[in-house]
Amino acid sequence: MISFNRVTKIYQKDWVGLKDITFQIKQGEFIFVCGPTGAGKSTLLKLIYKDEDPTEGIIKVLDWNLGTLRKNNIPQLRRKIGVIFQDFKLLQDRTLEENVAFALEVTDIPPRDLRKKLMETLTYLRLSHKRFSYPFQLSGGEQQKVAIARALVRDPYILLADEPTGNLDAKSSQEIMNTLFDINYKGTTVLMATHDLKLVKKMKKRMIYLEEGKLTTHN
Amino acid sequence: MSLQISIREGIKTITRNGSLFFLSLLVVSISLFLLSLFGLVTINLYYSLRILDEKIEIIAFLDEPADITTLKSNILKIHGVRDVIYVSSDQALKELQRELKETEEVLSIFEENPLPASLRIKLDADYRNAQGLEDISGKIMLLRGVKETIYGGELVDQLKKITKAITAFDIGLLLIIVFSVIFVIFQTIKLTIFARSREIEIMKLVGASASFIAVPFAFEGFVQGFVGGLIAFVLTIITYQIAVVYFFGELYFHFWWFFFGDIACGIIFGIIGSGVAVQRFLK
Ligand SMILES: Nc1ncnc2c1ncn2[C@@H]1O[C@H](COP(=O)(O)OP(=O)(O)OP(=O)(O)O)[C@@H](O)[C@H]1O
Ligand SMILES: [Mg+2]
Repeated sequence: MISFNRVTKIYQKDWVGLKDITFQIKQGEFIFVCGPTGAGKSTLLKLIYKDEDPTEGIIKVLDWNLGTLRKNNIPQLRRKIGVIFQDFKLLQDRTLEENVAFALEVTDIPPRDLRKKLMETLTYLRLSHKRFSYPFQLSGGEQQKVAIARALVRDPYILLADEPTGNLDAKSSQEIMNTLFDINYKGTTVLMATHDLKLVKKMKKRMIYLEEGKLTTHN
Repeated sequence: MSLQISIREGIKTITRNGSLFFLSLLVVSISLFLLSLFGLVTINLYYSLRILDEKIEIIAFLDEPADITTLKSNILKIHGVRDVIYVSSDQALKELQRELKETEEVLSIFEENPLPASLRIKLDADYRNAQGLEDISGKIMLLRGVKETIYGGELVDQLKKITKAITAFDIGLLLIIVFSVIFVIFQTIKLTIFARSREIEIMKLVGASASFIAVPFAFEGFVQGFVGGLIAFVLTIITYQIAVVYFFGELYFHFWWFFFGDIACGIIFGIIGSGVAVQRFLK
């Protein structure tokens, strides 16, 4: 489903983001991407939804070789992947509801199904009561949940979660983790980046550990 | 993506960024107004120059009596002659009286009408210069019944030179204004879209296709151009009315040309401007 073959990402000025990374992820897996700040976790996720291109190596996602994927087909790839961005990336001029609905509008879903799916997701994440609020009217944790809702609303094949619990208290974190496991249980492949090793150890899931761009532990 | 969603998104894009929209609408309106105003000036300039040019003619004074019909048809056969108008001595007197009211007393001194009958010879555009006038006048002089001809001669060439200079100046100015207007409109639209570059980036990351992102912006550009063109047109009409009433008394103006011209320019600049600007983010 996702494979990295000797992938290296060098940012401008010879700054190494990732170095010689190789791994495979099968459909339905749940994987933690761990490592200290600056280790390259976000970089790894960005390579998967082709926000960045690798300097070297081959990346395959779903049925696509990202190296040869044409520009016009990038939206197709991204619609099959749900991303919870580390910095949320909410549209500031739209309400909570419009932000989540946007992820559906870019696909060809009929309006009636869109409404239904939207309500389901907002209810599931308990966001309905705030649905007419704008991002700046929401707390950090609430914004995080909107970002999660937007990633989940399309039932993606792959869910990339970049520090999805970073802004939440212990109880909300646990809720989010349960949500992610739930999604994974329904068949979505989940990659979650975090530097919270304690949390990861508790979960007993597969883990990729990065340090200064290098893959050091892989179980 | 359906047109319905694009238009709905386009309208939302406008309402979400109301102040930005009105700011650039203002710029578009004023720019188009300037362009249209200059168009008005140019058209009137050309119109008056053409009238002036058409006044270039040869007047042939006739012997008394003359066979006017034959003479007329002979002159019309000369290459470069477009029209021949007969002015009898009575008509000539009346015209003179009409043009110079004060000279009535002067004219009353004469017992008889002192003005001879004449033919006014209108020329084709190519012959309305010193050379053409001289050639044709020479040929007319050879005809029986013609006493004398008068025409502008050197003065005509002088006039032509001045006309040419004015025309060149006007075209130069027009080009400068057209380019400035296009530049200002494009820059303004670009700025309003740049202000939303973060939003566009996010849309791309969420999987929006290039057209899904671009069409609402193009729609916004369309509305901006359409409304801006309309405002520019209304301002032009107001200016035209003021100019007619207070300054010129009469001006050439073509309602529909200006109406469609303003709106078409607005729409074209609006759509292309936003299209070009948003294209930068879709690479
Ligand atoms: N666009 C960029 N241009 C240049 N360098 C970058 C860019 N993005 C990331 N980097 C660098 O690459 C390295 C890895 O960054 P990355 O964001 O992947 O880290 P991370 O593991 O996600 O860190 P964090 O836990 O803080 O989110 C960092 O040193 C960062 O400075
Ligand atoms: Mg990161």
